[in-house]
Amino acid sequence: MSAVPVPEGRPASVSILLVEDDEVIRRSVALALERYGYQVATAGDGLTGLERFREGGHDVLLLDVMLPHLDGVGLCRRVRETSTTPVLMMSARGDALDVVSGLEAGADDYVVKPVDTAVLVARIRSLLRRATFAADAPPVEAARKDTVLVFGDLAVDTAGLEVSRGGEPVALAPTELRLLLEFAANPGIVLDRQTLLRTVWDYGWEGDTRVVDLCVQRLRKKIGADRIETVRGFGYKLRRT
Amino acid sequence: MRTVRSLVNWRSLRWKIALLVAVACCAVALTVGLLVHRSTLERSMNDGAAKAVTALSHSVERYAREGTSEPGDELDPGAMPEELLRRLHERKDPAHNPVTWYDGGPHAPRMWAATSYRGEPFAVYADMTPDLLTRQALDRHMWKYSLVVLGIVVPVSALAAELPHRRLRRVARTARRISDGDLAARTGAGGGDEISAISATVDAMADSLHERLLAEQRFTADVAHELRTPLMGLVTASGLLPEGEATDLVRDRVAVLRNLVEELLEISRLDAGAETADPRPVPLAAVIRDSLARTGLGARFTAHGEPWAETDPRRLDRIVANLVANAHRHGRAPVEVEVTGTTVTVRDHGPGFPAHLLAHGPQRFRTGAAERGHGHGLGLTIALGQARVIGARLDLANSPDGGAVAVLRLPAAP
Repeated sequence: MSAVPVPEGRPASVSILLVEDDEVIRRSVALALERYGYQVATAGDGLTGLERFREGGHDVLLLDVMLPHLDGVGLCRRVRETSTTPVLMMSARGDALDVVSGLEAGADDYVVKPVDTAVLVARIRSLLRRATFAADAPPVEAARKDTVLVFGDLAVDTAGLEVSRGGEPVALAPTELRLLLEFAANPGIVLDRQTLLRTVWDYGWEGDTRVVDLCVQRLRKKIGADRIETVRGFGYKLRRT
Repeated sequence: MRTVRSLVNWRSLRWKIALLVAVACCAVALTVGLLVHRSTLERSMNDGAAKAVTALSHSVERYAREGTSEPGDELDPGAMPEELLRRLHERKDPAHNPVTWYDGGPHAPRMWAATSYRGEPFAVYADMTPDLLTRQALDRHMWKYSLVVLGIVVPVSALAAELPHRRLRRVARTARRISDGDLAARTGAGGGDEISAISATVDAMADSLHERLLAEQRFTADVAHELRTPLMGLVTASGLLPEGEATDLVRDRVAVLRNLVEELLEISRLDAGAETADPRPVPLAAVIRDSLARTGLGARFTAHGEPWAETDPRRLDRIVANLVANAHRHGRAPVEVEVTGTTVTVRDHGPGFPAHLLAHGPQRFRTGAAERGHGHGLGLTIALGQARVIGARLDLANSPDGGAVAVLRLPAAP
């Protein structure tokens, strides 16, 4: 464990909404993240958290799983109805049920408490990279025309970062989009879970592969279940046609 | 393949039932056959004797009337079978009824009838060959049809035994799945016989096991939540403290406490059976080398060849890290890690494992011997538990030339 250093070059007004019922965790995590230069808004229960979120202006949601009134999983599901804001869950139980239901509800990643502030910040940065990648990319690549990849009824615009299925636009959360782009760059090639964890989630070493499985499940719901095939014992691949 | 093996398994219940049916059929066929054979023989003897006696009385009458004999009449005692003469001599019958004797061979079978005519033996015989042929034909038929019936009944009974056999196999398969950890497996069998009773018992056992496991897992998860929540506050808040000697002390103790809590939670998850492996083929040498690098502890690494193993790399990492940390904490450098095939050996050059640990396995919070230094003794327990989860074998021993040796044998990649 190390002290929280005050980093140079603060991220320009990145706002984090922290929903956590334990007061000590809420205050200390908020203080620690503020030292890293993030703006932190807090809420002590799920309903207040949802209200705060709806006020808008948050770039990342940091949710505890066990919350009074509306738990983290329910809150995440409500947020996902209208928004693709990255969600990071914090679980103290760390058992399969917590993790799986959080990821199913649309969380992008999870950490198990207690978590070092440095690790937490690294996960938040990885989430933000995926989100800003989506926001920043278009102007840079807009000039290129041959950027639309077509797989059957699915069209992926790798420059405009728009996805449509049968002509209808599909709204993807940043992690889902990042995952789809990874598949689209390697159509018909099997990508194993560890590779995807590295390239999409920035895990340096063996992460929890359920994160990948559940994100693939969410992606399948949006772009068609048979578009991404499971290759048993290896990973997943995108069907070309 | 399994069907073929179960078909040729002679100890299978199916073949036992078929054998039992075959034995029962044979017993019935043999009894009935013997009875029929004997009664036919008896009737044939009686008929033959009656025929011979009638022929004798005709011949005696004719001889008395005309003085001639026909073929089949015998007046010369030398040509009569001795047994017939003996019976004639021993005849005590006051009515002087004729005696009969069946002569079975070696020539064509004959039924003799004899009496005394004016003090001399007078005998006739009747040829019994057609009778013998009829009886032999009957025996042959009985054999033939018994075999035909056996040939039908045994396969049919083996087929009929297939249904209970299949149900029993399903119970066995379910029980095996349960013992392999799939507590959702049920036989789901109905009916009112003994096999249904076994199925219901297996299902009930799985239910209660599943419930207990769920309760233990829930408890473990709750304990984890209760311990980790304050710890998270402590970890984050101590990270906010201003630098200084006192802060370092606090952070050091927080780190120890955090480690201890995680190890205890890991052990309780292992105990509750809440851990399942996520195996995949991994290059063993590379995974172990990375794992050693992450521990930050010195170890001499050697690998022979490029072995692959089917295992869960995260759990393998835990095992190796714990073994190496244990070697450093309780043993002495140099710590050597060797990969040979799918076997990983970690050895140190310290005083070796204490005798009680080798005899009874690692005990929580007991390192036992003072010479092995301090520690809470959870590392080896976790290593053993994780080894069980990934289906590996972890053996602890002492090298004859000193030092503790831990040998981890992983299942080979298929």
